[in-house]
Amino acid sequence: MNTAAEVMEAEALSDAAAESLWTKGLYKFRRDRVGLWAFAVVLLYVGVALGVWLGFWATGWADLAGEKWEPVSSAHWFGTNIIGQDIFDRAIYSTKTSFEIGLVVAVLATALGGILGAIAGFFSGSWLDELILWLMGVLDSIPFLLFVAAIAYTLQGNPYSMHIAMVVTFWITAGRLVRGEVIKLKEMEYVDAAHALGVPEYTIIFRHILPNTSHILLVQATITFVAAIKSEVILSFLGLGVKDGMSWGLMIAESSQEVLAGFFNNFLSASVLLFGLVMAFNLFSDALQDALDPRTVSD
Amino acid sequence: MELFSYSLRKLATGVPLVIGVTLVSFLLMVYFGPDKTFELVGKNPTQEQIDEVRAQLGYDQPMVVRYAGYLREIVTFDFGSSDSTGEPISSILARTVPISLAVALPGFVLGNVLGVLLGLLAAFYRGAWPDKLIMGSAAIGMSISFLIVIIGFQILLSSSSGLNLFPVRGWSMDSFGEYVSYVTVPTLATVFVALGYNTRFYRSVIVEETTRDHVRTARAFGVPSLQLYCKLILKNCLIPIITRIMFSIPFVVISGSLLIESYFGIPGIGKITYDAIITGDQPILKAVVALTAIMLVLVQLLTDIMYRWVDPRVSLK
Repeated sequence: MNTAAEVMEAEALSDAAAESLWTKGLYKFRRDRVGLWAFAVVLLYVGVALGVWLGFWATGWADLAGEKWEPVSSAHWFGTNIIGQDIFDRAIYSTKTSFEIGLVVAVLATALGGILGAIAGFFSGSWLDELILWLMGVLDSIPFLLFVAAIAYTLQGNPYSMHIAMVVTFWITAGRLVRGEVIKLKEMEYVDAAHALGVPEYTIIFRHILPNTSHILLVQATITFVAAIKSEVILSFLGLGVKDGMSWGLMIAESSQEVLAGFFNNFLSASVLLFGLVMAFNLFSDALQDALDPRTVSD
Repeated sequence: MELFSYSLRKLATGVPLVIGVTLVSFLLMVYFGPDKTFELVGKNPTQEQIDEVRAQLGYDQPMVVRYAGYLREIVTFDFGSSDSTGEPISSILARTVPISLAVALPGFVLGNVLGVLLGLLAAFYRGAWPDKLIMGSAAIGMSISFLIVIIGFQILLSSSSGLNLFPVRGWSMDSFGEYVSYVTVPTLATVFVALGYNTRFYRSVIVEETTRDHVRTARAFGVPSLQLYCKLILKNCLIPIITRIMFSIPFVVISGSLLIESYFGIPGIGKITYDAIITGDQPILKAVVALTAIMLVLVQLLTDIMYRWVDPRVSLK
């Protein structure tokens, strides 16, 4: 805040009646140019994924559209793969797969982490807390790929076994963070007041305390989203991930044969699209974290 | 004596963790896992043959007895033999763990040392262009998938489309030259992937430490920057650094780098584990899970003792 106009803007904002972590966060986020650009790129990907989902484009991802390994042309923007399928369509279609996995895992994992973390934090020191902490330690100690494989076996080829394995392992970080925050929050006066008014304990936890950790949950959800789509690529490559449909991981798995023969279109299109989404989401997540961190907001 | 009783107590608190890890993986992989009977009996089996194989696999016993058998295997360190090759697990481990260490160690050490150095550099020039350059590169490095890094390095360094300096895949430790030629590409890939995360983590730890009052006081007294960073700040950062390094050790040693080893065809513990996942070789998987959990408990103990060593204020209670 150097110029007079910015100072005035900031003062005008601090006079506003509804000043909260969120309005301050939004104000900070709008000034973060990198964060805004990253958000725009994420929105672009969202649009592409929605278009695939609604059937506007990339409907021919499984068709044999041309010859083997056609170069880039107006008919096939990224060329064709080893059996003549259009790489552009496949790469675009995989955006939807990534969002599907990322969103499902991020939402469920943060919800689970929020709920269990809040319960553990509120009853910290009790047997319930010990039990949840033990569960976190146990799930943290099983090598991730083994865990995915084990769940895939147990569910006997269920297409969602990868999602379930990720949710079961990725909630832990959110859970630990929320637990720590709730331990701080439950000592605050409004919680005492709620107790004194006779508000039931679970209402206090979920109506009064948990909403105050939502900035942590939001940031954690974006981090989980990135972790999920990155894991999907590796799991699909190893044959433990996506079974039906198409994903960037499967494209890279396909391409590992082609690459040694000197044909890079498949590998490059999947890698570049994946990199763009992960990079944009990482930068967006960083900007969100900076904007919502109460320590920097109050400056 | 204090150390000894502390260690015993600490190991005792590790027992629930080992039990939890083994119980969860036992339930998932063995109890609810695939039925292996018909892979092991011959063609047109009689009911007696089926029963015999089921008894051999322990399927006729209740769950508690079978889990107790697993715990007995862990305590006696005798995990039986592999389902697919019949080789004893102990000899598989003795053969593969050293290879995994040889593959993973250079990358692990380099990744952490370079991470600390770059973190120091970024923290030292906090806000200036070296900091922005380092952190920007770290953000880019973090966004590239491990898989893409591996394939990318392979194309650039080992294929005829690139420099073609190293073998495409495989493993040999017969001579030092061969070892270097096989280990270079996996090491570069590991370092590349780890560096982004490590640098970010170490920078934030170091920056946190530079804002402390005693650092400001030392600066005011005119302590030279280099001395300030190396003696005051880095020393105080040792606890988070040790924690991060120690806790990744079990996963480096036991699961190895599963992706690296299966991609490059290196016969280490990661490759063995991957093959066991694909073929459903439960004895190997059971051994890997149990050993990871045990190593985690040991590493926790060792980390606590190291805290005491770097920070005498920490008491072992």
